[in-house]
Amino acid sequence: MKNVKLHLLVLGLVIISEFIGVISIPLGVGTIVLLPMLFAMILGVFITPKFLNIAKEKEMDDASSLIGLTLMLLMAKYGTNIGPTLPKILASSPALILQEFGNIGTVLFGVPLAVLLGLKREAIGGAHSISREGNVALIGERFGLDSPEGEGVLGVYIVGTVFGTIFVGIMASLLAAYTPLHPYSLAMASGVGSASMMTAGVASLVAMFPEMEEMITAFGATSNMLSGLDGIYMSIWLAIPFSEWLYKRAYRFKYGEFPEPPVKKEIKEEK
Amino acid sequence: MNFRDSFIVLLITAAISLVGNFVGYQISIIEAIPGMLILVAIAIGGIALAKYMPGKIPSVAYIVTLSTIITVPGFPGAATISALVGKVNFLALATPILGYAGIYTGKNLDSLKKTGWKIIILALFVIFGTYIGSAIIADVVLRIIGQI
Repeated sequence: MKNVKLHLLVLGLVIISEFIGVISIPLGVGTIVLLPMLFAMILGVFITPKFLNIAKEKEMDDASSLIGLTLMLLMAKYGTNIGPTLPKILASSPALILQEFGNIGTVLFGVPLAVLLGLKREAIGGAHSISREGNVALIGERFGLDSPEGEGVLGVYIVGTVFGTIFVGIMASLLAAYTPLHPYSLAMASGVGSASMMTAGVASLVAMFPEMEEMITAFGATSNMLSGLDGIYMSIWLAIPFSEWLYKRAYRFKYGEFPEPPVKKEIKEEK
Repeated sequence: MNFRDSFIVLLITAAISLVGNFVGYQISIIEAIPGMLILVAIAIGGIALAKYMPGKIPSVAYIVTLSTIITVPGFPGAATISALVGKVNFLALATPILGYAGIYTGKNLDSLKKTGWKIIILALFVIFGTYIGSAIIADVVLRIIGQI
């Protein structure tokens, strides 16, 4: 944490990114917003050894240990937006709780697509959730991370880490521009269980609807906390069984027969 | 990481955010300092609670709870705290985090190369799936209960 070079690099990234500011690209009837935070992330990747090599191995290692801590101030800020809006949040709690089941959307879209692409048991690991840290641990425990399921969950984890923030930011702004979904609903949906993805989502929404900033950030942060609380249980009780079920159906649809029963899992279940 | 180091990192992040808050949103650094110090104090309070309270509840949960409580209408000084923290733009707080995250992401590029294109497509659909699923449910329920 006493890596002065790292902090100065980040200061430089922040100054450049904030100087560029929010860029709005009009596209048909809607607008896509690109935020300073996205520039900071992309520029950050560009100064690492694979590209400009300004930040070295040491900076990358130190940065990884600091991300959790640097998030704390933002989390405190989210709380100060939840407080004043608490009555409205409580009034909306049925929506907040029920939208948590939207996680099933990952399975509905993911499993058939994975099978269609020719993936086998990787589909269970990769499509049962958005594969954040907790899910990686869960799949590791159940199937082992060197199994096809483990390969799936780790792959999606890496892709989510690299592209997730940018993807959620752009997706939120596109859905807000082109669908009748209310910004509050999109704000709740942004709380997928990853603080940086949620921030990218709500930030895009706030840039488009600045007058709703307090409610949008409060809904996003509350939903994200709920996902953090229920995410693993959703996976164990709902998403993994449903993935297994849908995988068999999708597999038979594509190959004309049911898949071989998974060997590893049965051994574990006998224990 | 010990307590003192955490405090230093929080102050560094706060300082970087103050600069970003000025460059991006033209809020003078002096004007935003009180609000930023409140955020640092909440964060430290949350970290301390997580450390000394039983139950292994993560500090993030304490931090959000603390800052929610002190800004609920009716809490002494809630309006003042909200006004001071209001000087700190939340986008300005997010930019440094993504700066650190970007540098860290450089580490993952090799593993990304090893990940097949099929998994990359799958990952994007998986994120899209949970997002659209939650958004549709939220929208329907919010309309039914008349909140939007």
